[in-house]
Amino acid sequence: MKNPQTSIEVTNLKRSFKSVKKESGWRGTLKLLTNPEYITHDALKGINFKIETGEFVGLIGANGAGKTTLLKILSGLIPPTSGEAVVLGYEPFDRKLEFRKQISLVMGQKAQLWWDLPALEAFDLLRAVYQIPRDVYQKRVDELTNLLDVTKLLNTQIRRLSLGERMKMEVIGAILHLPKVIFLDEPTIGLDVLAAHKLRGFLKEHNQKEGATIILTSHNMDDISQLCKRILLIKEGELIYDGDADKLGQRNECQLKVQMINETSIDDLQQSLTSVEARISKDEASDSTFLITIPRAKIAESFQILFQRYSIADVAIQEPSLERIIQQIYQQ
Amino acid sequence: MNMIRIKWMMEWRLAAVRNGMKDALAYRWDFLIDFFTQAFVPVGIQLILWHSIFTQSGTTVFGGMKYTELLAYTWTSILFSQVRGGNYDFALIEMIRTGSLSQSLLRPVGPVEFVFWRGFGEKIFTAAFCLFLGLLASYFADRSVLNLLLAMMLAVLGNVIHYLFGATLAAVAFYWENAFAILLVKNMMVSLLSGEVMPLSVFPAKYSWIWESTPFYLYVYGPTQVALGKWSPEVWAHHMMIGFGWCIAFAILLKITWSRSIRQYQGIGG
Repeated sequence: MKNPQTSIEVTNLKRSFKSVKKESGWRGTLKLLTNPEYITHDALKGINFKIETGEFVGLIGANGAGKTTLLKILSGLIPPTSGEAVVLGYEPFDRKLEFRKQISLVMGQKAQLWWDLPALEAFDLLRAVYQIPRDVYQKRVDELTNLLDVTKLLNTQIRRLSLGERMKMEVIGAILHLPKVIFLDEPTIGLDVLAAHKLRGFLKEHNQKEGATIILTSHNMDDISQLCKRILLIKEGELIYDGDADKLGQRNECQLKVQMINETSIDDLQQSLTSVEARISKDEASDSTFLITIPRAKIAESFQILFQRYSIADVAIQEPSLERIIQQIYQQ
Repeated sequence: MNMIRIKWMMEWRLAAVRNGMKDALAYRWDFLIDFFTQAFVPVGIQLILWHSIFTQSGTTVFGGMKYTELLAYTWTSILFSQVRGGNYDFALIEMIRTGSLSQSLLRPVGPVEFVFWRGFGEKIFTAAFCLFLGLLASYFADRSVLNLLLAMMLAVLGNVIHYLFGATLAAVAFYWENAFAILLVKNMMVSLLSGEVMPLSVFPAKYSWIWESTPFYLYVYGPTQVALGKWSPEVWAHHMMIGFGWCIAFAILLKITWSRSIRQYQGIGG
């Protein structure tokens, strides 16, 4: 890696998977035994990006888009089919000892702690594995468990914890050794609003305090919008957006929330706003309020038409949610 | 290699052993029931079998052993069959199949060795318990304590060989996704050829090369012979050397198979 400020560099990264095609029924089962048919699926189709040290990047995409595959390659679990990934100056799949000491992967759907033992026992083992001096370890456990409100649960078996409590313990276990790069794969999956909020605050603080580079994948757009300044958007194995989360919201459209005084129909509004290519729907909360999505460049023209032709009680310009924007990008 | 590195290498292994022991004792009743049923049910079957053979056939010697010698063999072999029975190679295939190997792969310690030390933690507790029972029995039966200690060392070495062999076979799971059947077949072969089900002297002399050419006899048959005083310390030392040879051979094989097959790992389920 030429620039020491760059933590992750990915060049033309591709990854394919070969799997057995299983047809339904007995015929399919017999065929699987005698003459299995293989299919190849391209999970990543030539991805390029760089991530600077200390960045908090959101990696988003629909199910099967290739997010987790990318994380697996970057963390060194699987090799790419072709192309190159360099993390902290190492080729991840070589899994050099020094590389493994500096990274961490948290998978929301997979536990790294031991089910039948209390978290404290697991942390103690991780302390030995990562060579953390005892005094530093003790201080860090106290600090992290305090921040996440789980100090009282340290001696409780992992399996007896709630999902949110377990996830907090998982995150503590993953960052106990202060990794320079952290991969978070849906860390808030299944968590209630409070637990997710607490975890987000904690991750944000950790990123700012320790300067760790963090890549986060999540289907929860609150995670992305509250934590990540930069977004990598993957669609069917291709990187279709790499940039500021804010700009992703600004680049296309905005939404007008218009409350009418007189009764109006969607068809009527649609006809009036044909020239600005508006898409109109009714606000679920009120019969007289409409949500009008228009190109950002046509805000003035839309206002002109609306005020000329209708009696308007109230109007507001709304930024579409990140979720909505991504939904639109995916539908394009 | 500097001292810090040596200290770390010792420390994480000891921590893994401690962790494994605590894991084994997390459910004490389950542990005790498992221990005693695994030990005594097969013994019960063997005792009934020996009794039937000697009373119904009228023979006084079976497989070169008298009835009392067979009884002594059976009771003594329990101690070592409990030590060899580590099934943590099954844990490895499960980790490969379900993708839970991922976390172990990313830690700065080898996953195969890490699983071994955790599993060893469980077994070392069993070995200590068996040793205690054996010492108690030695005291009352007037047998050599030294022999029992030497025998337990051989059994522990057998445990290591057993895991290295199982872990090597477990690499098949990278290709087939599941290698449960292979490990099951291996365990059946081990049961037969380790002397756990019956003394290996029962094998006809012309077929003894079969068990002699595997390391399995070092798991139960060998330690039992040492404990009963049938193998001298010199013979014990000779078989320990053979055991170390097997260890090295399997360790090399393990390294080759895992380094090649790990490329097939997909870390599914994430």
